[in-house]
Amino acid sequence: MSNSVFSVISRFVEEYRSSTPNKLKVIDAYLLYILLTGVFQFLYCVLVGTFPFNSFLSGFIACVGSFILAVCLRIQINPQNKRDFLTVSPERAFADFLFAHTVLHLVVVNFVG
Amino acid sequence: MAHLCLFSLLVLSMVLETQALTPTHHLTTTDVARLQAVLSQPFTDLKSAYYSVVGLSKLGILVADADETCQFIKSNLDPSSVESLFYAAEASQALSGCEIPVSNDTRDLLLATVSEDSTASQIHQSVSALSSLGLPLASQEVVSALKARISKEDNVLTIILALQTASRLSQQAELGDILEEIEDLAARLDDLSGVYLQFEEGLETTALFVSAAYALSDHVDMEPPLKEDQVIQLVNSIFSKKSWDSLSEAFSVASAAESLSNNRFHVPVIVSAQGPAAISHSQPFLRLQVTDVLCQPLSSASVLVESASTSSSKSAILSQAPFTLRDEVFELNFMASQPASGYYQFSVAIAGDSRFVANHVELKVKVSTRVAINNMDLSVVDKDQSTGPKTTRVEYPTKAKAPFMADSHQNFAMAFQLVDETTGVELTPHQTFVRLHNQKTGQEVVFVAEPDSKNLYKFELDTTERKTEFDSISGTYALYLMMGDATLENPILWNVADVVLKFLDEEAPSTIQAKTLYTPKPEIQHLFREPEKKPPTVVSNAFTALVLSPFLLLLILWVKLGANISNFTLSPSTFLFHIGHAAMLGLMYVYWTHLNMFQTMKYLAIIGSLTFLAGNRMLAQKAVKRIAAEQSSRLAKYRSLR
Repeated sequence: MSNSVFSVISRFVEEYRSSTPNKLKVIDAYLLYILLTGVFQFLYCVLVGTFPFNSFLSGFIACVGSFILAVCLRIQINPQNKRDFLTVSPERAFADFLFAHTVLHLVVVNFVG
Repeated sequence: MAHLCLFSLLVLSMVLETQALTPTHHLTTTDVARLQAVLSQPFTDLKSAYYSVVGLSKLGILVADADETCQFIKSNLDPSSVESLFYAAEASQALSGCEIPVSNDTRDLLLATVSEDSTASQIHQSVSALSSLGLPLASQEVVSALKARISKEDNVLTIILALQTASRLSQQAELGDILEEIEDLAARLDDLSGVYLQFEEGLETTALFVSAAYALSDHVDMEPPLKEDQVIQLVNSIFSKKSWDSLSEAFSVASAAESLSNNRFHVPVIVSAQGPAAISHSQPFLRLQVTDVLCQPLSSASVLVESASTSSSKSAILSQAPFTLRDEVFELNFMASQPASGYYQFSVAIAGDSRFVANHVELKVKVSTRVAINNMDLSVVDKDQSTGPKTTRVEYPTKAKAPFMADSHQNFAMAFQLVDETTGVELTPHQTFVRLHNQKTGQEVVFVAEPDSKNLYKFELDTTERKTEFDSISGTYALYLMMGDATLENPILWNVADVVLKFLDEEAPSTIQAKTLYTPKPEIQHLFREPEKKPPTVVSNAFTALVLSPFLLLLILWVKLGANISNFTLSPSTFLFHIGHAAMLGLMYVYWTHLNMFQTMKYLAIIGSLTFLAGNRMLAQKAVKRIAAEQSSRLAKYRSLR
């Protein structure tokens, strides 16, 4: 059982390393970073306490929001999905990413207190 | 049976409805003097001269130095202004021997103003000026102009001015339509809780209405359609204000007062008692002042007491007794009927003139008397009735010589009678108290003495029963009898005797502490909201470092992946884009520390639009390059395939 899981994982990692374009790997690294930041914030909240709650919420929402936006960017940039996004060029996707981030930051900074 | 009930109910309601109103507000002599003073103020221009001179003439007062006033009027007259002519004409009319010179132009100007196109105020002023100056005018033209004016402007003041104007016209003119306006206007008055009747425009308008309505009614000799109650309500409204804001307001009040005291139909009567309405043996006369609204005594009136009855029993003591007039005051010797002390309800009627309004008045009269204490017997009674009571009689106002003892075996008792000094009738005043005052400790205890069925007052003190009131403090107490009533002329405080009280279970006599009612109370400490418990700084710092650590991981991964900025095109739009983007991030930080949302939005709009434009350019250039690269690579692949 564990053998098959291990083999699936190693196969997946091989595939990932070879066939994923570099651009997407860059975005994946960014995604990992955002994920870890969110996890550590949540860990603090669980261990130490929710004071000040609004700051925790804004930080956590920032992480979640950034993660979602980066995933969207990744999907839109991926050349394998080109058929689904005929009207959206990679540059346009990036511009959308930046704009959405501006709005997210505005809200987050308002709420962090 | 039901029919009888219904009928009696109907009769009762009718009786209640016919209860006429009497004025609750009226001018007293001081108020009239104040009105006169306001109107006598030195005048600055023709308008104030008009108000002063004509207002004082309405109060029946002649202006001092009439010649000077006449000169003033003549010098301030502007013959080209209708308003100025009006003031001058009316004022000179009120002064004796003051003639305003009139030229043909003046007359033509005044006659020309009488038309549909002038305002009601202008028509009123020109007609009054023509009338006062003795110039002829066409009454029918005026009437038609007024009617046209009323149909155009329906407000209250216009109609009042029309009424005033109509009262200056010839009696042959058709004033019927204008006369009907009085009734319509009366319907527009606001009834405030059944006491006041006034226009929403205010006191001045109401007063002007009254003087205009009565002026016109007198002129055509037809009774105005105002009910008696309405007249009284108008009196209440107009004379409720005792100090006036402006000269015009004072003038309107004086004008209304004059119309109400001098017209042919309704003269409200003001009845007031001179001093308090109280009678006693030293003051046996009930004195009433009967005046009109200007506080002028109505000497022609005859005042009659229709019935005088006690407030409680409603049995009539007096019926149809006339008042006699002496020095402009109506008086009646009520003590001659030998009334018992108490309150009496008088129903007074004022006759003598069919114009009198509110001539039935209800008065409450107090009859007071002096009280005498008879048969004051103080005794010490044995509780077990073994020995007979020792009674001592004390005469008012002396004090009993020996003190009385009362302890657990003996009670102290007091009995007395209260009678009217002159008639000997037994009295039951409202307040009969027995006060025991401990001279040493300052403590006092008050009891009520109650009368029995024979109106004999009794008071008994049982030391065992009452020891809580005395706090079981033995000692010598001074006994006082306190008596008072509204109808008593001589309230009594009499130190009757000294009583020595002995209580069982006596505590050591302590001085009575004054009640701690007015000493400062303990201070309340305000507890501010406790700030929430924060975790220690070490923990916070550690976790901050932990949260920031993935950024290092990100940089390491990016370097490993080979992320670089080799595609960085050196063009102004790129620079601008990156600077703008950095500026936006910096703005976010500044927003966190200093700004509010509105300022941030403002700056963001500016920086954002720049960044957008630059970014758009940059990305477009990138897109062009990418498409070119893709095309060239496709071309290369195509060539290699071939």
